[in-house]
Amino acid sequence: MEDRISELGMLFNTDLSQTGSLKALEELRIKFFSRNGLITLLFEDFKNLPKEEKPKYGQVLNRFKNECQEKFDLLKGKLESESEEVTDKLDLSLNGRKRSIGSKHLITQTMDEIKTIFAGLGFSVYEGPELESDYNNFEALNFPEDHPARDMQDTFFINKGFLMRTHTSPVQIRLMQSKKPPIRAIMPGKVYRNEALSYKSYCLFHQVEGLLVDEHVTFAELKATLVSFIKTLYGNDVVYRFRASFFPFTEPSAEVDIWWEPKDKPGRWMEILGCGMVDPNVLINVGVDPEKYSGYAFGMGVERQVLRKYNISDIRTLFDNDKRFLTQF
Amino acid sequence: MKISLNWLKDYINLNDIPTDEIVNKITISGLEVEEVDYKASKYENFVVGFVKEKSKHPNADKLSLCKIFDGVQDVQVVCGAPNVEAGQKIAFAKVGAVIPDGNFIIGSVKLRGIESFGMICSEKELGLSEDHSGIMVLDQNLEAGMPLADALHINDVILDIAITPNRADALSHIGIARELSAIFNRKVNYPEIELKRSKLRSVDLAKVEIQDPIGCPRYVCKVVKNVTIKESPEWLKIKLKSIGLRPINNVVDVTNFILHEIGQPLHAFDLDKLEGKKILVRRALDGETFVTLDSKERKLVGTDLMICDANNSVAIAGVMGGENSEVTSDTKNILIESAYFNPSSVRKTSRRLGLSTDASYRFERGCDPEITVWAAKRAAHLIAELTDGEAASGEIDAYPQKLKMKIVKLRFSRIERILGYKIPKREAIKILENLGLEVEAIDSENYKVKVPLFRPDIEREIDLIEEIVRVYGYDKVPDIKNISVVLEARIDESGSKDKMRSVLTGMGFYEILTNSLLENTIANKFGKPLAMMNPQSSDMSHLRPSLLPGMLNCISRNIKVQEKDLQLFEIGKVFFKNIDIPESNIDSFSQFSEEEHLLAAITGGRSEDEWYSKKEEVDIYDVKGIAEEFFSKLKILNSLKEVNLDNDLFIDNVICYQSAEASVARIGRIKKDILKLFDIEQNVFLFELNIKLLNEISLNIQEFKELLRFPKVIRDAAFVLDEKISSNEVIKSIKEINSNLLHHIKLFDIFRSESLGQGKKSLAFQLEFYNESRTLTEDEVEKEFWQIVKFVEKKLDAKLRG
Repeated sequence: MEDRISELGMLFNTDLSQTGSLKALEELRIKFFSRNGLITLLFEDFKNLPKEEKPKYGQVLNRFKNECQEKFDLLKGKLESESEEVTDKLDLSLNGRKRSIGSKHLITQTMDEIKTIFAGLGFSVYEGPELESDYNNFEALNFPEDHPARDMQDTFFINKGFLMRTHTSPVQIRLMQSKKPPIRAIMPGKVYRNEALSYKSYCLFHQVEGLLVDEHVTFAELKATLVSFIKTLYGNDVVYRFRASFFPFTEPSAEVDIWWEPKDKPGRWMEILGCGMVDPNVLINVGVDPEKYSGYAFGMGVERQVLRKYNISDIRTLFDNDKRFLTQF
Repeated sequence: MKISLNWLKDYINLNDIPTDEIVNKITISGLEVEEVDYKASKYENFVVGFVKEKSKHPNADKLSLCKIFDGVQDVQVVCGAPNVEAGQKIAFAKVGAVIPDGNFIIGSVKLRGIESFGMICSEKELGLSEDHSGIMVLDQNLEAGMPLADALHINDVILDIAITPNRADALSHIGIARELSAIFNRKVNYPEIELKRSKLRSVDLAKVEIQDPIGCPRYVCKVVKNVTIKESPEWLKIKLKSIGLRPINNVVDVTNFILHEIGQPLHAFDLDKLEGKKILVRRALDGETFVTLDSKERKLVGTDLMICDANNSVAIAGVMGGENSEVTSDTKNILIESAYFNPSSVRKTSRRLGLSTDASYRFERGCDPEITVWAAKRAAHLIAELTDGEAASGEIDAYPQKLKMKIVKLRFSRIERILGYKIPKREAIKILENLGLEVEAIDSENYKVKVPLFRPDIEREIDLIEEIVRVYGYDKVPDIKNISVVLEARIDESGSKDKMRSVLTGMGFYEILTNSLLENTIANKFGKPLAMMNPQSSDMSHLRPSLLPGMLNCISRNIKVQEKDLQLFEIGKVFFKNIDIPESNIDSFSQFSEEEHLLAAITGGRSEDEWYSKKEEVDIYDVKGIAEEFFSKLKILNSLKEVNLDNDLFIDNVICYQSAEASVARIGRIKKDILKLFDIEQNVFLFELNIKLLNEISLNIQEFKELLRFPKVIRDAAFVLDEKISSNEVIKSIKEINSNLLHHIKLFDIFRSESLGQGKKSLAFQLEFYNESRTLTEDEVEKEFWQIVKFVEKKLDAKLRG
């Protein structure tokens, strides 16, 4: 038995070393491993051995078969990969099959960023109508009639009582009318300004405003909250300043600038948001006691931040919706 | 508003404070400096030059060769001006100077073969005037080498300050000085007025009557006799020019000067043109016309406040004077008006006439009634001095009801309550006092603050707190690290739209944003739009009643730039009237609707020509697939029913998706005549929905279905049947068998060929059989399959294809 195994082993190795193609390999398989193959036949012979010799040769025979099989598989793998390279002439310089997903508008993307930051600070999100009453847009927000403060916001009117909102602040009024403090919310949305179209102004733009009303809200807290926001949006080392300003609906009021250094141009302060403590008159208008409660509000334009971030020089680009623009972001 | 730093220094000592610091501090405290113009910076490398020698250029008749001493050395310069002469002091641009007119740099150049190192400048080249007839010849006594900016006194710094509408008090040089006085804690020096004695008395020379004391609470005037109208002196012209004003004559210039000095608008009348030497303040007659100083005829209404003489109107109060009483070169006697008009009245008139002047701008923000006498005296003094006239003594002061100073209470603890930090009491009080307020302590907590009339914006405690904190400095607000947070359920009203956007972008759509304002005819074509009362232009006069025109306009523009394969969507508001009513009559939200819609559109190729595929045009099934996947991802597909509609104005092949309550969405192909309006020649398919209605559908959250543990068996069956029979009918009849083993039916092929017979088609279906609790046998499936085939063949007159 031993001799036969070693004889067959030599034959197998010799044949294997001469096998150079998948076709020859198949012949080799039939010769050794098939139903009538030489290795299979050896097992048949093993069955006829006397009982006492079986344990001795059983192991040897199995090991031999496994060794042959391993060598066979190794060669098979090698031959297969060689043949693939020859038959499939791959041109890997071809472009891949296109998979495309679209994208949200740049303005939506930026508003999402802002929303996400304030969501982390616990702010809810509220929306409201774009066609508003003069009361909600101006009067309730402490804009006296016939006051130059109204000039700050060129307005599209439907008639004397209805207009296209010039800011999302009327959503604050609606919210405070319908919900008692505490209130902690942002109001994103579209607002309108009656301005001629040009590279720097459009008849509408997007805003995100915020409002917090509670019993112990302070100006220092407003600053801390906005600083946290600015650092998250513009990076921890952003240079910013708070400066006094005027809005009819907040007092004290502030505007926040960040230091911006455009490519190849000298740096300058760029205004990014307005804010302040909710004016007591506004709280009174919505039935909140300004002695007990105080609040802060803030608001920012989205377009301006988009233009700056992506170095877009003409605001109208954002509303032209040219596919060559849309697919860039 | 332009402020000259040199002028400002007449009223407050700022010499020890760098300009940067002034700019920064005043900006932080609320008067934003938008631009700083260092006048001298334009004249770096410009000096006073001395022409030592002049000779003819050897190669050019019109050029001369000069030797210029620039204070350091002699340089050779070629000059083309006819008036250059040896011995002159001239404005010399050294090599490296940037010429203001044309913005070019002086280098050393060869002119007709001779080298030239610099340029002798004309006034035009220096940007000083339009004079280009020759070089500018300077004062002989100037020293060569002196910086030109110093020689010409161009050392001013002009600040352009944005004044918020509440700060009427800051609209002048003294106003800004007062602000700086609070910031830097130093004194404001008001100019002194020295009037020469006169036997003439203003009250004898004119009379004032106020018929409308609400429109005009105070009217002060003063008379100057025997004036000589001429050019103003240089000092006055320099001041006016520095802030961009054009000098006119010595009377008008003084009134303009005082307006920018103290903020009080003045008007000078030619006294001899005032009939009856009388001023009457009254409301205009309805329909009255009046020619203003700018020679324009203005139509007035009964609410406009007018200044009149005994018979005629002579000025629109607080807005603009009239041509009929204008000061001219012949004017001999002058009446100076220094009045206080009601802000809201001036604003109404100015807005209605579309006429905003330096005067109306200040009156409508609120001037100081208490400064009127001072301003009239200051004007009389200066005019008398500059015109060699005689200022009559005293003034006419019509002030029927004296306006009182407001008294505002301040609780000191309230400052910390609002700000969240302490401001030292002494500093807070000092700030208010420096701003011109009078502070009186009631006790250690409560204060009484008297507010002068030039601060109409300070009325309440919170206004005082603001003054204190802004002057104290926003940069001193401490950086606190903790804020208190109220824990409540978060509400996000925009959340569902975020989801919709994600689903659509995932399917390859790009989000667009189009203008909500449309042109009249297009807007009316797509609904009952609302019109704007004051549109910017006729192509943006109406609110969009639908997102469709904006989308089609966008598609059209893209096709024009060869971008023909588009998948776009927009989420936005649409507006329309609920009843037929003119815009002017709308008085309630119920008369119109504002709805939020989503519109997705596809057009052109589903894919482009590529090495691996051919271009295929999109069709209705693309948009249907998009709608179904959209609803499925929003977990509402099973709550919607498909209904076909044929009577839509804008689209063919309409499928509506209806919930139990309403029709919430639709898909279809846009009609050709609509596409034509936008010059679009390729098919466009849309998917449109109402977001609010969609949000109202309750989600069907599907529970997890156990995964099948036994093999499924798939059999194909292709039926040849009549064209008229829809795939849905076949599926329905297969389902009628009610097989327990059949779980899924899918149409996988549609085949048409003459070999099938006239009006026939073949529909091939894949049938999926399984049992959830055991493995099926071949026989079971065979039996079930043939039962189905037989039934369909019989019911739909179909034949199983071999």
